[in-house]
Amino acid sequence: MMDGCPGARTQDFREKETKGDESGKRQSQLRQWPIQLHLVSPEAPYYQKADVLLSADCVAFTVGDFHKDYLKGKSIAIACPKLDEGQDEYVEKIKSWIDDTKINTLTVMIMQVPCCGGLVAMAQQALQSAKRKIPVKSIVVSLQGDILSEEWVEA
Amino acid sequence: MERYLNTPIKEIITSFPEVGKILEEYSIGCVPCTLGSCLLKDIVAIHNLAEDKELELMYRIEKTIYPERDIKKPVFKASKKEPDKEIRYSPPMKRLVDEHTLIKKWIGRIPQVIENVDIESESGSQLILDGLDFIRFYADKFHHAKEEDILFDYTDKNLDIIRTILADHEAARGHVKEMLKAIGEKDTNAIIGHLCAYKDLLTEHIKKEDEILYPWIDRGLSTTQVGELFAKFNEAEEKMDKGVIEKCQKFIAEAEQRIENFHRS
Ligand SMILES: [Fe+2]
Ligand SMILES: [Fe+2]
Repeated sequence: MMDGCPGARTQDFREKETKGDESGKRQSQLRQWPIQLHLVSPEAPYYQKADVLLSADCVAFTVGDFHKDYLKGKSIAIACPKLDEGQDEYVEKIKSWIDDTKINTLTVMIMQVPCCGGLVAMAQQALQSAKRKIPVKSIVVSLQGDILSEEWVEA
Repeated sequence: MERYLNTPIKEIITSFPEVGKILEEYSIGCVPCTLGSCLLKDIVAIHNLAEDKELELMYRIEKTIYPERDIKKPVFKASKKEPDKEIRYSPPMKRLVDEHTLIKKWIGRIPQVIENVDIESESGSQLILDGLDFIRFYADKFHHAKEEDILFDYTDKNLDIIRTILADHEAARGHVKEMLKAIGEKDTNAIIGHLCAYKDLLTEHIKKEDEILYPWIDRGLSTTQVGELFAKFNEAEEKMDKGVIEKCQKFIAEAEQRIENFHRS
């Protein structure tokens, strides 16, 4: 049986029943611009001492309550560990968050597909080379938007 | 094998095409992937195979990469994956748990020490004094102080559980005071009595914290608070005398040998 890379395999969720309260309007929890990791300056004021969310690109489209449950109260950057170029710069930027901007915590949110693990690996690499240490959390999201795991990463 | 676990899958499949075929048998379809940058260990972990399937897969891959090696075929037990009973701590809490591990090492040696207390000899009284220093500087100043001055601010100090914990700390300090007095008076029975009582007290105390108090506090902490706590612990440690802490760690590393030498003499 051949399934291909789970990161690129076609899957159809159209039959899925959507439940939950869809009434009312929710405000965006985004407190900054830009957000793409190549575009942001790690020393931007919104990162100073902040709780930072480093999210894989696909996550925000997958998790229904992304703004309310994960973005709220945090500063964000997004990246794709599978397709983005120049990932060495990513590691340097994360390191700068830790050492220069003195962020409080880093939460890395990724999809369940194997290639997404690269983003956590980048965070770990930055943490190991940084002088300061901070708590780093990894949250893994299923393709249908469920939280599969949420745990603190060993330095 | 360790090296290959951390190698991108494309590289492995290029060198060992057979591995690609094996992965396909387990519905892991990395061969057609144009990137192939995922590490072998991540691929295996993320597919979350049943334990015996994963063992079998790893055995087959290893056998393919190292055909000349004598690799033992794993015994496949038809066991279901045990639910994860291990407690997961946040990083600041994990640090306190690790400190407990060191304290428990000394507590574990106390029975041997008691067996042969010789307060009259130079080495005998020095061992007791150094052990007491470890308790005072590491278990109390370094560890209990972080709990009392920082951690418990994140709880209601009037809660029974916190009161009990604080009372334990006080009782421990009482034993230290009495031991110092007993050493001065060369009162072997009193030294043994308080050392024993300290051991029993701290054994229970650490168990309470590891299994109940810390997980409970952890569940109530926000991510922001975890970061704050971690930073405050760092700050507090920076203010402490590093030499003293290193001396305490060295004491534990050498304690076994010292106790043994003492027994022999
Ligand atoms: Fe304690
Ligand atoms: Fe403790």
